[in-house]
Amino acid sequence: MRIADKMRYGQVERNLQNNRAEMSQLQNQAATQKRVTKPSDDPLAATRVLEARSEERGNVQFTKSIFYMKNFLEFSDQALGEMTEALNRSKELALGQASDAGASALTRRAVAEEIGQLYSQALQIGNRKLGDRFIFSGYKTQTQPFDKHGEYHGDEGDMKVQLHKKAFVAMNLPGSKVFAGQGLGADGIAHTEETPVTTPELMEYRHELDNKPPEQPAKLEMRSPASVNDILTSGINVFNVMKSLEIALRTNDKEQVQSSLNGLDQALQQVILARAELGSRLSSVNGTLESLQKAIVDNKTLASQLEDAEIFQTVSDINKTDATLKASLETSGKLIQPSLLDFIK
Amino acid sequence: MAKISNMMDIGKRSMSNSGTALQVAGHNIAGRSVENFSRQRVEIQTNVPITEGKLQLGMGARAGNVTRVNNPFLEKQIQKETSQLGYADGRAENMSRIEQVYNEQLNKGLNTSIGAFFNSFRELANQPESLASRTLVREAGLTMGQDFEKINRQLKDIQRDIDFQLKTDVDQLNQMSKEIASLNQKIMQAENLGTSPNDEKDRRDLLLKKMGEKIDISFGEDKFGNIAVHAGKIGILVSGSSANELHCTETGARDRAEIFFKNSENGSSFQVTDLATGGRIGAGIEVRDKVIEDLLGSVDTMAHSMMKEVNAAHIEGFDRYGKEGILFFDMPDQVKGAAAVVKINETINKDVGKISVAARPDAPGDNTVANVISSLQYQKIMAHGQATFDDYYNTSVGQIGTVVQRAVKNHESQKNIVDQLGNIRESVSGVSLDEEATKMIEFQKAYDASARLIRVADEMYDTVLNLKRL
Repeated sequence: MRIADKMRYGQVERNLQNNRAEMSQLQNQAATQKRVTKPSDDPLAATRVLEARSEERGNVQFTKSIFYMKNFLEFSDQALGEMTEALNRSKELALGQASDAGASALTRRAVAEEIGQLYSQALQIGNRKLGDRFIFSGYKTQTQPFDKHGEYHGDEGDMKVQLHKKAFVAMNLPGSKVFAGQGLGADGIAHTEETPVTTPELMEYRHELDNKPPEQPAKLEMRSPASVNDILTSGINVFNVMKSLEIALRTNDKEQVQSSLNGLDQALQQVILARAELGSRLSSVNGTLESLQKAIVDNKTLASQLEDAEIFQTVSDINKTDATLKASLETSGKLIQPSLLDFIK
Repeated sequence: MAKISNMMDIGKRSMSNSGTALQVAGHNIAGRSVENFSRQRVEIQTNVPITEGKLQLGMGARAGNVTRVNNPFLEKQIQKETSQLGYADGRAENMSRIEQVYNEQLNKGLNTSIGAFFNSFRELANQPESLASRTLVREAGLTMGQDFEKINRQLKDIQRDIDFQLKTDVDQLNQMSKEIASLNQKIMQAENLGTSPNDEKDRRDLLLKKMGEKIDISFGEDKFGNIAVHAGKIGILVSGSSANELHCTETGARDRAEIFFKNSENGSSFQVTDLATGGRIGAGIEVRDKVIEDLLGSVDTMAHSMMKEVNAAHIEGFDRYGKEGILFFDMPDQVKGAAAVVKINETINKDVGKISVAARPDAPGDNTVANVISSLQYQKIMAHGQATFDDYYNTSVGQIGTVVQRAVKNHESQKNIVDQLGNIRESVSGVSLDEEATKMIEFQKAYDASARLIRVADEMYDTVLNLKRL
């Protein structure tokens, strides 16, 4: 083949250019530690990295929500625990005063005092706040749920928190259910209401809300001793039970004290069921949290496998390319220099 | 006697031939760095011999034509491939710029801000009472709006830049048409005189390659040596010694640079933008009018759906003051251009309390609407219910990546083809200093020898003239 001068120069130029381009790309990889620095480096990987990242951001947010929710649930659980203790203590005291053996009008009056204190303790538990939110007043978190008569002023709202893509779980238990005993399911458990997650559902929900007759304010019902059937179908107002016990003790009404025991049992059962509900929510939340944390790590690993440069590979490639570049430079000098003219003197 | 004068004559002509050959070698050396130069050769031919009795005596040599060493078929092939290269180059360059708009590998972009926007509603759902969470929603909404606007603006910037490129390319194309027309004339005149206009032909070949780089052309040579150039489907650019110009100006409803063609001096001009194919101009128009328009359309669709869906849920709710919800985003009239105007309602911008979170009035802890809005992220809203916002955006990033990858690969392989062909051309037509140096030595020696011949003839004359003195 006839070799013209431009071929030699062109060859040198192209080779050096190629070496430099490769070097620059490798250097970029080493500096960013990424194999994929733009979508065209590997379109499939780039898309999957983007997906993994949106997924990860969602998951990180869900874990944040879950931590907040756990805090809320544990706080509610503690309140219910204290409530159980207060009710147990009331029951103990009531048992002691239910017969005339060792009890008299005098002791009953003294015990009434203690029940009164337990009553205000129970009220204080019902009005407990986390941060600036009343935890037992449904959606009306800025309204104190129970007044001093044990009357409920919140609503039945369940605040839902998104645990993962498809799941919303209620965070709170409205006081109307746990303490006032309204709106419980047939099994005595505080079931949560379905809330809309899509816009059409939301519109329907709004429509239903608008057409619902205005809610009757919760009435303070002085309940008679509940029958077994009552226990199964409806709840009881914890505060009313305690209040009526206190009144019975104060008025030295032995029969009424005895019948209050039934109410206390029912109230205890109601609070314990609610605690069980909280417990099951907590355990499901913990389960979700674990799988989310695992998913976050998995996603990071996936993204890293897809986009990160293998550093040893990169460095060894750099060394190789560097050697090639030096060889090109060296031979280029030799290729360009001599011509016949150098030898005609 | 005749022989001595013949010798002198042969010597003189040979000296002149060597001089010519040396000049050509000099021209080759000088032309070595001229683009598309073909090395030239003097055709040295023997003169008509004379016959004396039985002797046929050569009368030396004369310089015939100076011709270029060139393979016209190779030139034509290079022209075609160069045109392909111009197209591949224009496409790869512009597509790479588009890719940068969508590149989120190393920094944050729309994908991030959409995620952050929905996450801000999740945060708000956790604490609907908090003003801080409401402010977070507003900030996330503003950032997302800015990112939509940024993509829209950057894509439009590339379009404007292509407009500018087109104008420059069309100007250069016109210059080249004119130059080819004037070269046509010179070449025709020279060929009429029977000489070979080597340098002009080299130049014309080069111009044809360069024109092809700009736009798809076809051309042919007539029997007088004129080359007529036809630009794709547009019309005749060069015919004989006259050239038709293209014009490129921003006009029309689109306010884009459009290309016009006037087929005669006084004729009316037609808009030929859509007819321009191939080369850098074709690539630019394709990227500007198809690729970028499609991308703008899809980002507009996404912005519009986003605003529509968020608004639809938002308006169903109640704000912090127990009032019915208002629009979250200011809704544009049409989908086109929606991405440029993703703006939060001014009322909300001033008072984050106006963000609706609740599905009922006076329920500060009600987060139903916030939950509905954050759920939009995982609903298949885009592409006729086939894709979520994330899917839709990520898919288009993947598509751009694939297209860019292909464009860059095409450009690389096309460049290799052109380089290879260029090498073959140089192998045929390129100048080699070694070769020219050899020729120089060869002709210098020939020159010396011819001079010596003349001196010998001169001495022979002397000998003859001094005969009688002896």
